[in-house]
Amino acid sequence: MNREATVGASLDAITSELSHTGKSTSTLNLVVWIDDPDRRDWIVERAGRLASKHPSFTLILDHTGKRKGDATVSAQGRGDDAQTSAQGERVDIDVAGLDTAAIESYVNALCAAGVPTVLWWSGARVESRPIFEVLLPHAGMLLVDSSGALRDESGIARLVAFHRTHADVVLRDLAWLRIGPWQDMIAGFFDDPALRQELFSIRRLYVASGSASEALYLGGWLATRLGWTATAHEHLIDRSGKPVALVREREGEIRRIQRICLDSETSWYHGEVTANAHVVKVWSEGEKAREPRLFPLRAIDNTSLLERAILESGTDELFEQTLRTLETLLE
Amino acid sequence: MTATAAQSSGDGVAANPLREGLSSSRIADPCSITFFGATGDLMKRMLMPAMWNLRLEDLLPSNFAIVGFSRTEMTDDEFRADMRDSIDQFSRTGKATEPLWSDFAKRLSYVSGDFDDTACFHKLREALERNDKELGTAGNRLFYLSTPPSIFAKIVDQLEKGGLGPADNPQGWTRIIIEKPFGTDLESARALQAEVQKVFPEKQIYRIDHYLGKEPVQDIMALRFANIIFEPIWNRRYVDSVQITAAETVGVELRGGYYDNAGALRDMIQNHVMNLLALVAMEPPVAADADAIRDEKYKLLRAVRPIESDRISLDAARGQYGRGTINGVPVVAYREEPDVRPDSNTETYAAVQLWIDNWRWADVPFFLRSGKRLARKNSEVAIRFRSLPHRLFGEVGDALDNNVLIMKIQPEEGISLGFNAKVPGPKMHIRSVSMDFNYGSGFGVVSAPAYERLIGDAMRGDATLFTRWDAVETAWQIVMPILDFWQGNPDGDFPNYAAGSQGPAGADRMIEMAGNEWRKL
Repeated sequence: MNREATVGASLDAITSELSHTGKSTSTLNLVVWIDDPDRRDWIVERAGRLASKHPSFTLILDHTGKRKGDATVSAQGRGDDAQTSAQGERVDIDVAGLDTAAIESYVNALCAAGVPTVLWWSGARVESRPIFEVLLPHAGMLLVDSSGALRDESGIARLVAFHRTHADVVLRDLAWLRIGPWQDMIAGFFDDPALRQELFSIRRLYVASGSASEALYLGGWLATRLGWTATAHEHLIDRSGKPVALVREREGEIRRIQRICLDSETSWYHGEVTANAHVVKVWSEGEKAREPRLFPLRAIDNTSLLERAILESGTDELFEQTLRTLETLLE
Repeated sequence: MTATAAQSSGDGVAANPLREGLSSSRIADPCSITFFGATGDLMKRMLMPAMWNLRLEDLLPSNFAIVGFSRTEMTDDEFRADMRDSIDQFSRTGKATEPLWSDFAKRLSYVSGDFDDTACFHKLREALERNDKELGTAGNRLFYLSTPPSIFAKIVDQLEKGGLGPADNPQGWTRIIIEKPFGTDLESARALQAEVQKVFPEKQIYRIDHYLGKEPVQDIMALRFANIIFEPIWNRRYVDSVQITAAETVGVELRGGYYDNAGALRDMIQNHVMNLLALVAMEPPVAADADAIRDEKYKLLRAVRPIESDRISLDAARGQYGRGTINGVPVVAYREEPDVRPDSNTETYAAVQLWIDNWRWADVPFFLRSGKRLARKNSEVAIRFRSLPHRLFGEVGDALDNNVLIMKIQPEEGISLGFNAKVPGPKMHIRSVSMDFNYGSGFGVVSAPAYERLIGDAMRGDATLFTRWDAVETAWQIVMPILDFWQGNPDGDFPNYAAGSQGPAGADRMIEMAGNEWRKL
C-alpha cells in the first residue's frame, strides 16, 4: 500500500504526516537538490525509481520554483500494511523562497539517524554556493554528474577544482560511472597476453562523445593505469617520454560515448556504438588485427548508475587518482 | 600458443594493468567450455540461459567458446537454434536479441558422439584446438558433466584417452565441473573419486551443488563473520537448537526414475542440507578463500557424531507422500508418479537429529529435514536460542518465546529475528514480534540464479562455493548408517504422510522426544 499527501511546507505539517507510517528497514537518506527547471522532472523521476528499490528516506529540495510553496509526503509500503511497514518515505519540498538556514532545518529534522546520507547535487556545477556549503557537511557521500546538461568541459573542470580543496569528501560522478562498460571493453583488448605489450606503445587516444567529461575521464583513467604523465593542457607523455595524443571530438547524444580508438605503434583498437545504441562493436586493425566482436552496453542508464554509486561505499581510489591526473590535463 | 599465454591461468587478468580497480577485475581467462549432456533438460533450462546471461552481464571473457557434446546427431546450426529456443524459453532476461545473439552464436559449436567411443573425444579435441586458433581461447578448457551420474567416470576416462586431460594440456588450464550426486553411496562415491582423481588433480575438480550458489546461502557467512553481534552467542551457551529445513511442494516431476533410486536422504540431506549445516556451524575461517573455508567445513563435518545403528529409529525419520492436495489441486501419491515402482519403499521425506562433538556445539541438537510434496516451499535455517534464566516480565498467561534467528533461503530470501516486546498499555503484557529483512527490498536487486554465479566462479578458478572431496566423503559417512538401515528395513507404513501436509508423524515424534518441535512450514 502506498500513501501520498500534499501538505503545507511547514516542518510541523510534514512531520505530522510522516508520523502515519513507520519504517521497518532503511538503508540511506537521499537528499536531492534541484535548481534546473528543465531537468526537474527527469531528476525527480530517477530519484523516485531509486527510492522505490531501496528502503530509504528521500528528501527532494526543489529550488526550481515549479512547486507552489507546499510539500508532498509519500510512503511506499510493503504488502498491505504501509501503516507499520513502510519500505521508503519521500518528502518533496518547495524551497525556492527559503533561506539556507531554513533548508538546513528540514535536513536536520527529517533525515533518519544512523544511516548514511547521500547528497545528490544536481545543480549544473559544484561550486561555492552557500546552500551547497550548508548541505555538504550532512552528507557522507556527494553525488554529482559533471556532464549533466553540459557538453563542454566546464562541469568536470569545476569538479576537479572542488576535489583539490575537498579531498576528504567521498565523491561519486555519474559521468565517471558511465564510462564503466568502455573501460571494460578497452581492458578486454589486452586480456589476451599476446597483446599486453601493446599497452605500452599507445600513441593516441581518440574519443568521440556527446559530452567532454566522459572523454576526459577515459583519458585520465588510461593515463593513471599506464603511467602517462600530464605535462600541460591535454598533453601526455608515456613512461618512456614519448607523447600520447588525446584527441576529442564532440559527436552524438549528450553524456554518451560514440566511438573510441587507441593507436599503438602497430595497430588500431576500435570501439563503436552500433545502430543498436546498447551494443558496441569492437575490433582491431593492423599487425594485431582481431575480428569484430559485439559487447552489450549494459547498465548506463542513470538509475543504474545512481544505484551503483550508493551501493559502493567508501572512496573509489581509481576515480580519485584519475581526478588528480585531470588536474594537470585540464590546466 | 605463446609461452606467455601458457601462464594465463594465474596471471591472465591480473597482469593486465587496465583491469586493476575495475569492478570486472576478476573476469575469467579466455577459455572453451564443453557441456556433456548438451541436449538434456539441465542444459536447456539452466546452463545455456546462465551462459547467455553471463554474456549479457559482460562476465564472460572476450575470447570464449561453448561446445555442446551429446549422443544426438545435430549440426552446429541445429544446436545453435536449439540453444536459442532454450534461452527464449527459460532465460530470466527474456528472449535472445540481435545483434548480440548472432555474435554469441558464432562461438557455439556441437560435437555428436558416443561416450564409449574414444574417436568422438578426438573429434572434441580437434574442435577445442580449432577454438584456440580461431576464437582465441588460449588452450584453457572447462568440462561440465551434466549427464546422468552413471557415466561420469566413463567421460573422465575418455577425456584422458582422447588427450583432453590436464596432463595433455600444459599450455593452458583444464578444469572439470561435476554435477551432483557425487556417487550414490560412500562406496560408489569413493570409486568415482578414484576414477576422476586419476585424471584431474583435486584443485581442478569443481563438484557443483547449486544450493551453494544461492545468495542467502552465501550470506550465512556474511551474517556470521561480518557482524560482531552474532558470533559471541553462536554457541552452546546461548543456542538451544538448530533446525535446517529444505521443504518442497513439488513431487518428483519427470525425475521419477532417478529419484526412486535415490530418495530424500541422498538427494537433499547428504549434499544441500549438509552444506548448510557446515556453513552454519563451522568455525571462523582464517581467510575468505576456497581452502580456508573448505577446511572449516570439513572440520565441522568430521565433528558430527556418527549415528549408532541402535539410535537410528530414534534419531532419524522417513516418510513417503500419499495422495493429497497442494495449493487446492489434488495430486497423486508418490507410488503413482511416472517411472516410480508401485511398491516403492523410497523415502520422499527424511529427518535427522545430529550432534556435533566439539567445544562450540556440544549438547546442541541439530534437526535436519527435507521432503517433497509438503505444505509449503520453504528452505531456511532457524537458530533457536535458550530460554531466559529468570522470568522477570509478563502477565500470567503471556508466553515468553525463545528468541529465534531465521535465515530464509527460498522462496523468501532474508533474515528474520523473533524477540519479545511489551504490548502497549498499562499492564506488562509481553508478546513475540518479528523483525524482518528481505534481500529484494533491502538491496533492491534480484539475485542472479545460482548457476550463473557458479559457472562464472569455475571459469575464474574460484572453488570456494564448490564441494571438496573430503567434505563429500564425510557427508556420505554421516548418512550411510541411516541409508543402510533403511535399505535393510523397509517401512511397511508407506505412504505415511499426505501430500500438502507438514510431513510424517514419525518426524514429529522424533523431535518431540528431544523436547522440541518443528517450525511450522
